[in-house]
Amino acid sequence: MDLSQALEIASHTDPGMVRSHNEDSIASIAEKGLVVLADGMGGYNAGEVASGMATTVLTTELRQLLEDHAPHEVDPQSGQKAAQKMLQEQVAKTNTSIYQAAQSQSQYAGMGTTLVVALFYDNKMMVAHIGDSRLYRMRGDEFSQVTKDHSLLQEQIDAGMLTKEQAKHSSNKNLVTRALGIDPAVEAEIHEYDTRPGDIYLLCSDGLSDMVSDEDIGMALQTMGANLNLAAQQLVQMANDNGGRDNVSVILIKILREYPAGHGLASKIFGWFR
Amino acid sequence: MTKAGFWKADWFLGVAVVIFIVLFNRLSDLIPSLERKAYDLGVVATSRAPSDKIAVIAIDEQSLANLGRWPWSRDVLAKMTDNLTAAKAKVIAYTVLFSEPQVDAGYTYVTKLLEMAGMGAPADPAAAVDPSTPAAAAPNTPAAAANTPAAPPPPGQLAQFVTLLKEAEQALNTDRRLADSFARAGNVVPMTLFELGQPRGRPDKPLPEYVTKNNLSKVGKGADDGMLPTRKIDYPIEIIGKAAAALGHLNATPDVDGGTRTEPLVLGYFDQVYPSLSMMVAARSLNLGVGDIKVEPGEKVSLGRLNIVTDPATRMYTYFYKDRDGRPAFPVDSFYDVITGKIPVSKYQDKIVLIGPTAAGLGSATVTPVSPSMPPVLVLAHSVSSILSEHFFVAPPWGYWAELLVFLLIAAYLIALLPRLKAGTGAIVTAALFALLLIAHFVLMTSAAMWLQLMLPLVLLVIGHVLLITKRFVLTEAGKVKSDADSAESNRMLGLAFQGQGQLDMAWDKFRKVPMDDGLMDNLYNLALDFERKRQFNKAENVFRYMAGYNPKFRDLEARLNRAMAMSETVILGGGSSHPGGSMSLGAGAEKPMLGRYQVEKELGKGAMGVVYQGKDPKIGRVVAIKTMALSQEFEADELTEVKERFFREAETAGRLSHPNIVTIYDAGEEHDLCYIAMELLKGKDLVPYTKPDNLLPVDKVVSIIARVADALGYAHKQNIVHRDIKPANIMYEPESDSPKVTDFGIARITDSSKTKTGMVLGTPSYMSPEQLSGKKVDGRSDLFSLAVSLYLLLCGSLPFAGDSMAQLMFKIANEPPTDILSVRPDLPPALVAFLDKAMAKDADQRYQTGDEFAAALRAAFGAGGGGATAAGDGGSR
Repeated sequence: MDLSQALEIASHTDPGMVRSHNEDSIASIAEKGLVVLADGMGGYNAGEVASGMATTVLTTELRQLLEDHAPHEVDPQSGQKAAQKMLQEQVAKTNTSIYQAAQSQSQYAGMGTTLVVALFYDNKMMVAHIGDSRLYRMRGDEFSQVTKDHSLLQEQIDAGMLTKEQAKHSSNKNLVTRALGIDPAVEAEIHEYDTRPGDIYLLCSDGLSDMVSDEDIGMALQTMGANLNLAAQQLVQMANDNGGRDNVSVILIKILREYPAGHGLASKIFGWFR
Repeated sequence: MTKAGFWKADWFLGVAVVIFIVLFNRLSDLIPSLERKAYDLGVVATSRAPSDKIAVIAIDEQSLANLGRWPWSRDVLAKMTDNLTAAKAKVIAYTVLFSEPQVDAGYTYVTKLLEMAGMGAPADPAAAVDPSTPAAAAPNTPAAAANTPAAPPPPGQLAQFVTLLKEAEQALNTDRRLADSFARAGNVVPMTLFELGQPRGRPDKPLPEYVTKNNLSKVGKGADDGMLPTRKIDYPIEIIGKAAAALGHLNATPDVDGGTRTEPLVLGYFDQVYPSLSMMVAARSLNLGVGDIKVEPGEKVSLGRLNIVTDPATRMYTYFYKDRDGRPAFPVDSFYDVITGKIPVSKYQDKIVLIGPTAAGLGSATVTPVSPSMPPVLVLAHSVSSILSEHFFVAPPWGYWAELLVFLLIAAYLIALLPRLKAGTGAIVTAALFALLLIAHFVLMTSAAMWLQLMLPLVLLVIGHVLLITKRFVLTEAGKVKSDADSAESNRMLGLAFQGQGQLDMAWDKFRKVPMDDGLMDNLYNLALDFERKRQFNKAENVFRYMAGYNPKFRDLEARLNRAMAMSETVILGGGSSHPGGSMSLGAGAEKPMLGRYQVEKELGKGAMGVVYQGKDPKIGRVVAIKTMALSQEFEADELTEVKERFFREAETAGRLSHPNIVTIYDAGEEHDLCYIAMELLKGKDLVPYTKPDNLLPVDKVVSIIARVADALGYAHKQNIVHRDIKPANIMYEPESDSPKVTDFGIARITDSSKTKTGMVLGTPSYMSPEQLSGKKVDGRSDLFSLAVSLYLLLCGSLPFAGDSMAQLMFKIANEPPTDILSVRPDLPPALVAFLDKAMAKDADQRYQTGDEFAAALRAAFGAGGGGATAAGDGGSR
């Protein structure tokens, strides 16, 4: 099923104002409803390699899998949706790849990457994330963060050690508790959400969420939601205007119409004519 | 994804092209030239029959050669006119301008003489006012000139003289002769000539009545700008003009390229309007006069019922007839041939006869669509025929709007439609439109005699299409470069990922698709090192060679390449010697390949599932034997994980064993797709060589070795570890120190489950216990059965159970007693024979239950046999 008519996707990535390298990596396959954003870390240009490997391996493998399997189908044994299984397995595989590359090649030692992946299907999306790259949702006037960072800060907030207000001024913003490629095994946090026509989803690296407050991001999306390309560039611009201390990457996805999974010939034909 | 500036959009380019073409059309003559060329082609392509009423009498070279140089005496023309009148020609037109009187040199004197004689010639103002009458050149009348003033002539002679003078005057006044001839004919139309241009002020003098009678009175509105203005007119002298039936101008109006395509049917002279010679000739031929000509300036001219649609300057698009079968469109006869009667004059009855010069040098020839050089008289013929046969072309009044509409449609196609079409479809549509315009142009011209200027839209179409396609090509090329770069980057990432997963061949495939750069060199270098570590030196060599193609000076690439080459050859040799112990020398200076943390020093031999290497732990300097198993080659991918798990579990179990007669396991690990076990390196070999009948060990030695092995098995069994594959090949023996050691604990469990190697495992079930063969759960007593079989073999050099086939062998093990050992080696002590019988009992409960029991019984049995047996054993071995 081709989702490129149901989803509008715009993306933009920028090294920011301070760094010379862009260690972020973004990828999307509109017709498969797949978007991937990774924020690499590691010395020299190893961060680029880690994030690049993450997006490339995931898009390549998932494209292949999505050709053969429908993401909304439920596996009778595990009771999981195919989408969840795919994401779980492929994130694990990607982790192994990056980990092994880091282990076996000295110039890549210690590289790793955060990851946020969203797979859209059947009026739903399956979101997997590791680290502090985020996914936000704009539904109507309400702008909210969907993913919960795997960061020391978030854990401190969860534990009640810090309030959100204090967290804004915390010094250890960049400490992530989970990342792809650092350990032999990592578990991605995977959840499924319903989508509605009109929703706008934002995937971003911490270069945006650290530099621009959620309110401002929401405001920008509110005003510029009609032109996603412009909005994507504007968000990057806002981060750069506020200092742009890190690479900034955003992917915006707007749900243009419903995209129920085809359960039969009739719905396929119907979908064709829409 | 990003929104490009509007100037990059296709539609903008379309608009730009349209504007450019419009401006270009205004500023340059290129496109109008193209229109004219297309018009000419259209004219040539049209096929029409010329009017057969028109005949041309040409004053050509032949006539000049015979009748003298031009201008001729006008009485020659008068004679021709008379002849034609006699032949009843319909209309006679002269493309000769009689604007000057023709005065013979002697005529002045003749008239003067007549005046003196009081019988002046009829006043001829032209002759009278002519001041340039040559006085010197009068050789034909010298006597008259000399006599006239001298003496008054005598009256009788005078009358005779006057008659002669009158005769002379008659003969010499050719103008009058011509005028008389014209008057007699009554259907002669000579030409006038206007000077084109905007008049300033008023005419010099009013035109004589015989000219103004040709002024057209029925003229519609808009006379001023609907026709070409003139400022001067040359017309025939009065005597000829008055005798003419009508006058018409013979002005050509060539286009900027010098080609004559149109005929100005009427010209404006101040407030008057005069018709063309062709118009008047046509009118006379239809017996119509000036009053029958109606003019709608800029639109049409009506001649009786005949309507001629014109261009905005009231010009007719003349149709020029092509020559037919090599003959000219109109019959052209030489003036000389006609006047000498060579061509009968009767031919011209009822014909429109056009007389004019065609010889080179007389008059100016014009360029027409069908001929690069056409004399005016022939142009006139084409024009008259076009009028009479209505063969002229029409640029319809709505043509401008039609042209504009076509132009706008093409512009709309370029701006709106073409950018949305695929390249192939676009090309087809453009070609179709191109053909459509061309066909429309020619079909309209040839069949409807209608001319629409379609070359401008045509040019717009071609240029616009070429530009848009070029732009698209340039853009897609840029896009291709970008996507190439993208895919190169993703190939690099995938290569790294595969390398990380240990799939070096796949990684190599991916890396090869990436264009070479310095960054890739690092990746490739690492890949090659990985290949080396896995001892795939030929592949490492490939990678190094590939790298050398880009930069042979990269790090220590040369040295590595040489070493890899040497190594890949050695490995081929080493692989060829398949017998165990066939060692492989490592190239000097070659870096020791690593397996886990062990440096691989040499190959010791080949085991059941892989190569056995001698290795060294560089940290503590311990030399070890490394047994490798290429599990991924032995097992299907789906069970590989399980097999690996079991491998490590078994290795762990075996690693717990610590016994002087069991080979110590130090370490187990996994390197890419290779599993390995590092174990104690033994100097000795296994017991297989001592199973040959001619190389048996002494019986006491055999008993001692087997008893100690039984001790070791007893130790292992107490830890619930079963070897499962006890046989001489798995018992190592070092003769110097006389120490046997059991090796390969646990490994049989893995090899057992190998699918691909099933056949091999079953190939030697000679040592298996009945319960193991039947697939039941086995315990230590099974090992002891196998040990007893080994003992039997070592004692006599043949197996207790032997069969021609696998099935027979298995049947014997399960059901038949072993071959009587005494039949093979009769000198063995009976106690030992009894021991073997018990040890190889079919029912495990009937055998020795533990290793210790086995060992004690064995030693006791041999001890019972005493030294005789030893001596016998010695004797047997000798």
